[in-house]
Amino acid sequence: MSDSIVYNIPITMIEAYRGRTLVVRSHDPSMIVQRLAGHDLEMVEYLQVPVTGGDIDSLLHWEHAVPVDLVIHNPEADLPLLYRYSAMQAARPVRVSVPVAPGFSKVVKLALSLDFAVKLEFSQPGPALTEELLRVADLYLHQSTVSQPVEFIHSMFLAFYKGDPVALWIVQEEDPARMRYITARGIETISRRFAGVELNEALPSFIENYIEGLIKEEGGECNDCEFFDSCLGYFKWPRKEYLCEGVKALFQRLKEAAEELKADLSSFHSPKGENRS
Amino acid sequence: MKGTAFSLILLPTLSCDADCDYCFEKKNEHRITLDQLCVVVQKVMDHMEHNHIETLSIYWQGGEVMTLPPDWFEKANIAIREIAERGNRQVLHYLQSNMIAYTSKWNRVLADMFGNSVGSSMDFPNLHRKLKGGGPKEYDRLWVRNIREATEAGIKVGVIAIPNERTLEMGAERFFSHFVDELGIRDFQINTPFPGGSVNDVKMGYPLNTERLSGFLADLAAVWMDRGFHHGVQVGPFSRLMDFFVHAKKDLMCIWRDNCVNDFVCIDPLGHVAQCDCWVTSYPEFRFGNVLDDGSLSGLLQNSRARRQLQTRPSVLIQKEDCLECKYLTLCHGGCPVRAYSVYGDVFRKDPYCELYRRLFQNMESMAASLETESGR
Ligand code: SF4
Ligand code: SF4
Ligand code: SF4
Ligand code: SF4
Repeated sequence: MSDSIVYNIPITMIEAYRGRTLVVRSHDPSMIVQRLAGHDLEMVEYLQVPVTGGDIDSLLHWEHAVPVDLVIHNPEADLPLLYRYSAMQAARPVRVSVPVAPGFSKVVKLALSLDFAVKLEFSQPGPALTEELLRVADLYLHQSTVSQPVEFIHSMFLAFYKGDPVALWIVQEEDPARMRYITARGIETISRRFAGVELNEALPSFIENYIEGLIKEEGGECNDCEFFDSCLGYFKWPRKEYLCEGVKALFQRLKEAAEELKADLSSFHSPKGENRS
Repeated sequence: MKGTAFSLILLPTLSCDADCDYCFEKKNEHRITLDQLCVVVQKVMDHMEHNHIETLSIYWQGGEVMTLPPDWFEKANIAIREIAERGNRQVLHYLQSNMIAYTSKWNRVLADMFGNSVGSSMDFPNLHRKLKGGGPKEYDRLWVRNIREATEAGIKVGVIAIPNERTLEMGAERFFSHFVDELGIRDFQINTPFPGGSVNDVKMGYPLNTERLSGFLADLAAVWMDRGFHHGVQVGPFSRLMDFFVHAKKDLMCIWRDNCVNDFVCIDPLGHVAQCDCWVTSYPEFRFGNVLDDGSLSGLLQNSRARRQLQTRPSVLIQKEDCLECKYLTLCHGGCPVRAYSVYGDVFRKDPYCELYRRLFQNMESMAASLETESGR
């Protein structure tokens, strides 16, 4: 096992993973505070707690500035709970991980309003959700009051802007060469959405092999997809037959926005520009 | 937690030498004793230790603080410093005074304790600020004289002004000139009036008409941009909104924070604890408890039903009002609870000045955009 791998573990396994770089999760935020006492916090990249977590007082007042990832399970129901954490932002960076499920755009809006970063957790969104995704992309791209990133929208936009692809699997923290998720039963897998899925290949090469399979597939959608360099077939899991129309519309929107920005900036710097004084 | 601060609005007295029409406080002659002050400060320090907070900001207000003698403050300063040093905490002091009782005898305290700075209040024209048993004219005269004297002594005076019907009639240009050109004030803030505390004819006219008030604020912002912005004149809330829209710096007035409950607590001379000075004497039903009684401040805050109610307010508002759809949710999470309560009798309503805020945010956003375009030229 390489030392550079980050392990996302339940707090109950903290002793077994001593000395590794960790993401530590628990349903009970106060347990994290208790159990991490005496541990090397330099090795903890961030804490992961459900937004519904019970006693959050000790975490709110914890003296260590370890970042926190608030996990949303049900966007509609969990939405108002975000305010419980608004005071935390002063002490540590806070990110909200929200599944792309009905009502998720409201969570994104409120999280950004509270200056929390956002990570969208994907499966394979249908047409209604891709519409909602486009609205979130517009909020992120065009609202001047937004100051925090919404991943993966942020990284993809930058990739288009710089003309330098990013691997979506990495942005989404689902590259097994960098990150492993340890289930409550101690089984090592890729991420939460892979928990319980029987992976028939060795973990480190899973993504690579999966991508290779997609490329080899005759007439496969990924083969001639202009966004493959960054996406790398990310949306073809778990169902290979998923159609990417909506997702591609999102990528297209980000690409166009990046091109517009580039054009704006170059006309701004152009010596022929009207604004030259 | 490094960098975090606890903000305490401390009312050492509820006595006041003025009798303003729109005052929301239920005044009386109570003063906190130095012994009681030490108990209060010790409990605040214990609360800070419990929550790993390093810095205490004390906002001294009344009643009128200058009805206490300056040497009381000198003793209070020493006592607080000793308690803070024992707990290894830092304390910053800020003073809000009507300046009616100001004399040069205050200069030493102002320098030693308050960084030679004081916040005061005055309206233009002054219709509602009055001396006890006197009228606005006498108040004006004394205030202007004392502000000039303080300024000459090197004291920086910031002013909070509350607009009235006549302010709106006279217009922004005249208002700005009065404070900046005539009085030499470089830092002032506009607050909105609300019918807090006991009812009277003046408060019956609140909230002020949104249409007229937002027109006035838009004009004032334009005058400020033209004659103040580039000359270091700070006008609240414009300056901070500009900072937000231009530099993404979020240092907003309490009414626009995500939840003022996270940021302030107020204690009156009898030890009553409440959200802020707008609540503590006027709405006993919303007190959190009494810090001079047995028990810790942390326990009191944690167990207060009233505080929990205020704490849940923004999350209720996004479900029952239209704040979640608001473009400016990041700047205002339903506004000020006491303004809502004093107008509607319900904290779970959004601020009655909502529409005013929206127009103001929109105006400042476009002013910031024009400024950026101009500076890019
Ligand atoms: S968008 Fe769809 S088709 Fe294109 S690379 Fe990604 S998964 Fe393949
Ligand atoms: S100076 Fe302040 S406390 Fe005194 S009457 Fe006026 S508003 Fe009330
Ligand atoms: S109740 Fe209103 S005035 Fe008082 S602290 Fe909260 S926002 Fe500020
Ligand atoms: S401006 Fe109005 S709608 Fe917007 S957040 Fe404030 S109170 Fe709500």
